[in-house]
Amino acid sequence: MESMQHTAIVGLVVVACLASAATAETRREYRYPVGPKASVTVDTEYGSISVKPGTTREVVVVALIHSDKAKIDISQEGNRLEFESHLLPGADEQTGRVDYEVTVPPDTTLNLHSSNGPISAERIQADVAVEGATAPVEIRSVGHGHVHVKTMKGTITLSDVRSAHVEITSISGDVHLNSVSGPLVQVNSGSGRIYYDGDFGSGGDYNFSTHTGDIEALIASGASADFTAHSMQGHVQSDVPLKPKENNRFPVEVGRSFFGTVGKAASEVILKSFSGKIRLKQR
Amino acid sequence: MTCSEVQRVLPEMMDGAPNNELQAHLEKCPACSDLVAELELISIEAHQLVESNEPSPRVWLAIAAELRSEGLIRDPEAKPGRPVLVPTERRRWNAWWLVPVAAALLVAASYVGMRKPATQIAEKPAVVAPANAPDLAAQSNQQKPAPQVAETKRPVPIDRSLDEPSVSAPVQVVSTEDRQFLDDVGQRSPRMKAEFESQLRAVNSYIRDAEAYLKQNPGDEDARQHVMAAYEQKAMLYQMALNHIQ
Repeated sequence: MESMQHTAIVGLVVVACLASAATAETRREYRYPVGPKASVTVDTEYGSISVKPGTTREVVVVALIHSDKAKIDISQEGNRLEFESHLLPGADEQTGRVDYEVTVPPDTTLNLHSSNGPISAERIQADVAVEGATAPVEIRSVGHGHVHVKTMKGTITLSDVRSAHVEITSISGDVHLNSVSGPLVQVNSGSGRIYYDGDFGSGGDYNFSTHTGDIEALIASGASADFTAHSMQGHVQSDVPLKPKENNRFPVEVGRSFFGTVGKAASEVILKSFSGKIRLKQR
Repeated sequence: MTCSEVQRVLPEMMDGAPNNELQAHLEKCPACSDLVAELELISIEAHQLVESNEPSPRVWLAIAAELRSEGLIRDPEAKPGRPVLVPTERRRWNAWWLVPVAAALLVAASYVGMRKPATQIAEKPAVVAPANAPDLAAQSNQQKPAPQVAETKRPVPIDRSLDEPSVSAPVQVVSTEDRQFLDDVGQRSPRMKAEFESQLRAVNSYIRDAEAYLKQNPGDEDARQHVMAAYEQKAMLYQMALNHIQ
């Protein structure tokens, strides 16, 4: 009898704890009609941000607040919307977490920030600025705007980004660029590796730089680019037959640098590293 | 006077030495005039930085980004015979490569100047100014970028550990600004402090490597660009920390 009472008490406590945890997690939905070229900022210290395009001229934000230790401040100035998570006393990475699922018109400018993420945006035709310390960042099918990404160590993946001004800075996060092209594609990484897989577009400037990280570029057949690679203390290698430039301004340092063109040299590609390896390969 | 001649006399001009030919050129050349105006703006604002919470470091980063996007800060002239990765025709201003360095210095200085309790709703302990805060302000004053551009043509170390001669020595985060920055981040989140510290050590190491290489090869423009890239990363790190603690 005593044993049954004990079990019942333990069971009630467990149920109470579960119920408490369940009620602490809150789902909120916000809807705001916006005009063309709206701007949406989402700033959360902890939590994921996912942005997708909608079919109406409405910004829909679904926020999952993981505890009562966090709250959301929302401000609207005309076409500009800001969602900002605030931490309350005692909040930590778990209890202060707020996850956002955002749906916006495709021409909406985005400004996204989360320390630990993950952060993702897809099918947006406008400027996208993302900052995440350790957050992995994924941007897909974005174009016709600026794409600026900054992370401390979060991995950055861009796929199918076209006609964009791309600027990426990371200290130790790897950077993956798949089918990324535009008038300017610039990546600055410290120890993170840079992988590029694509055709380098037409008429763009591609500038990839690392300190200790390796750079690997896989070029598609039909690419047209002028390549310059130099690693000051690392090794460079081109598996792609490059046509020597007619007027090489600089002597080639074997193993440290290479220069040459593929196709009609429509784009300019500069790969440089302080001590990382650089490799150019054909897809 | 041509644009390239302006480039050569720019440090003296920023130092305050009058130059009639330069003034005449600036009156006729909007590009040079705009650039000089922006550099003067940086110099003026840097003087005000320690005294005021405004402007935000974002302003400086925006200026650096703007100059970068216009191709104005990757412009040093190539030394013949050495491989340089950016074509010479894009290089117009030797001094402009220092802008990201200045941005990093300004962010660090503004970090010291702007330090205030986080705007977090949480009633967490306020950030307590260290006893040597006045010294820090004085150090920040000494590290204002514009006078350094005028007085020297070499990268300005932000971290005293960078002055250590040995490149292979263990990397230390020793500057007061760095420690202060890490302490503030740590008050918000000990785990993030560890992350920031790890990254800061790495970036200081990059700066030191690149500066040591540049010291040995002062004409190497690629080395200079690697120094610039490392300072950009440090500026970004400080900016992220500011965002984190506010």
